[in-house]
Amino acid sequence: MRHPTKTCLAAAIAAASFGLSQAHADEIVIGASLPLSGPLAGFGSFQQWGYKRAVDEVNKAGGISVGGKKEMVKLIIRDDKTDPNATAANTETLISRDHVVAMLGSCTPALVNAGALVAERAKKPLVTGCDPLEAFKSVRKWKWVWDIFFDEPDLASVELKAVADLGAKTNMKIALWHDNGPDGQVVGGQIWPNVAKQFGYEVVQNAEFPVDNTQFTSIIGEAKSKEAEVVLVDAITPQAVAIRKQMAASGYTPKVLNIEKGAEPVQFAEALGKLADGVLVGGYWDPSFPYPGAADLAKAFESETKLSSSQHIADSYAAAQVLLDGIAAAGSTDPEKINAALAKTDKTYVVGPVKFDENHTAKLPVVSLQWQGGKTVVVWPKSAKTGDLLFPVP
Amino acid sequence: MPDIGVALSTIASGVLLGGILALTALGLSIVLGVMRLVNLAHGEFLVLGAYAGLFFLQFTGVDPLLGLPVIALLLAAFAIPLYRWLLQPLADRGPEAQMMTMFAVSIILQNLFVLAFSADTRSIARDYAALPLTLGPITVPLIYLIGFAISVIAILIVNWVVSSTAFGRDLRASAADAEAAATMGVDVKSVRMLTFALGVACAGMGGALIGAAFQFGPSSGGAYLLNSLAVVVLGGLGNVLGTLAGGLVLGALQSLGGLTLGDGYRDLVGMALFLAVLAFRPDGFLARGRP
Repeated sequence: MRHPTKTCLAAAIAAASFGLSQAHADEIVIGASLPLSGPLAGFGSFQQWGYKRAVDEVNKAGGISVGGKKEMVKLIIRDDKTDPNATAANTETLISRDHVVAMLGSCTPALVNAGALVAERAKKPLVTGCDPLEAFKSVRKWKWVWDIFFDEPDLASVELKAVADLGAKTNMKIALWHDNGPDGQVVGGQIWPNVAKQFGYEVVQNAEFPVDNTQFTSIIGEAKSKEAEVVLVDAITPQAVAIRKQMAASGYTPKVLNIEKGAEPVQFAEALGKLADGVLVGGYWDPSFPYPGAADLAKAFESETKLSSSQHIADSYAAAQVLLDGIAAAGSTDPEKINAALAKTDKTYVVGPVKFDENHTAKLPVVSLQWQGGKTVVVWPKSAKTGDLLFPVP
Repeated sequence: MPDIGVALSTIASGVLLGGILALTALGLSIVLGVMRLVNLAHGEFLVLGAYAGLFFLQFTGVDPLLGLPVIALLLAAFAIPLYRWLLQPLADRGPEAQMMTMFAVSIILQNLFVLAFSADTRSIARDYAALPLTLGPITVPLIYLIGFAISVIAILIVNWVVSSTAFGRDLRASAADAEAAATMGVDVKSVRMLTFALGVACAGMGGALIGAAFQFGPSSGGAYLLNSLAVVVLGGLGNVLGTLAGGLVLGALQSLGGLTLGDGYRDLVGMALFLAVLAFRPDGFLARGRP
């Protein structure tokens, strides 16, 4: 006969497991897999804040009306450790164990697309930011996944447009360095060479490196010897920090230095101190933007966390609001109805107007940001600028 | 064909960087040579040293490179209870038990780093870490030269301890034949504990150097563990001066790989060399015997 204590224990564990895996009948469960650790954790922490804030606001307002009854929203976040395999596994878990009705995306094409493909297969709506649109569209024709972010050609040309428009003079020799990730190959391998030629630059170097590379001395040495005065880099934050440090230690300071992706989070400037000054990065959001709640969002983040805000709080907050509005408009937790409601999104959010096109994408306008004294300022376009261009790089 | 100045600068940087790699690998080599333990948490001890350097600077205002002895002592103090409570009880259970324990420690440390320090990329920001040193056509990062000098001094001190002190004699005896050493009155348990502490202390110093020269985060340890393994295999297990030579060779060859194939192929060159040495000279290209 089975020992009664063991039986009770087994029953308790079973009950606890059941409780963990079952949503309450009176709550709407949504979920997200985010890079809360690993190289992209700098993005994940901001996204987590944005997602949670949107959900908290809805819950404070009484929840969402489903079938005529107000229900609270429960957000489940799982850490994907910056590993696309973990993103896919987390998304499976969110669907099969957590019984989410819809999901929010991770960050960067490698992670977002890995989870999005699972959502697509399971026919669960997923709204994401942090996935450049060309990389998103290149995967497949999406039916269940929606992306609110910038378009790579816009981002790839913004800094050269800014430099030309602001009259910053260089010798027109440009070096392009990019990682071999999906967006690195699109931006650095395909778009930048064409854009550079359009603006009259001579491309003296186009170097590709693995996403986890740590040594850049040869690449830097070559650009220095070829006298490139403009350098465009596409790399994640650890590599961006390494590159900037190694450039300085090699005695190479181009007049214009643009680092996409990696120079976005504030940890870039924190790790580099004064070396971050003058680095340009394409941006899709700033608290100064004339959209409802933009300034308040940054203030709320900074007062809650005592950290400097990042544009990633805005696209994540907006993506969550779009999803929650979609559920509210559907008035149902039925995935098909939510998806149909998402398709009709047409509203101005904290990132600007959001209306999805036939590719399930909503494009955000891009500005040129520059790190100055540990903070980013908008230096272009002139209509949106909050500071003057620091030129050349100090 | 790369510019001659670029080529010379890259190779010189590689050799200097190799010196730093040697210090990062020294702890792994000593522990492997004496305890036959592949310390899979070695990379996390490096990262711990980098965090120790960062916070040492923040709290004391003293340059972490000046504080290296303090960082080494802190890491050694951290290592002793770890050995006493986790590794010593497993000493008679074969090498796998201790190795898997250290694998678990590496995962736990990574997660503790995230919890305690966040997953942010960090760097020890010092002005000298961003200064170039130019000699004719050759330009190298000043921090590489400083790191190289510190590494060589630290390695020579450790070599002196291993080859010329009573502890070193016990260490070498325990490495050669632990049973015979115990029969001759050597306290093998204590020797192993102190060896582990010495290994972790060396990792801590290497980590602080890495933190000043490069960037680091909670999950940076894995890449440094791989490089350290290559250096150890090149130099020979437990061979202190061999580790320095292994680091220099790895640094030089990685830089040649970067120069000819591109910076993305540095690790490929290093790992190919690692496999070649394992296949043809498994005791290392310098090793004639263990300490």
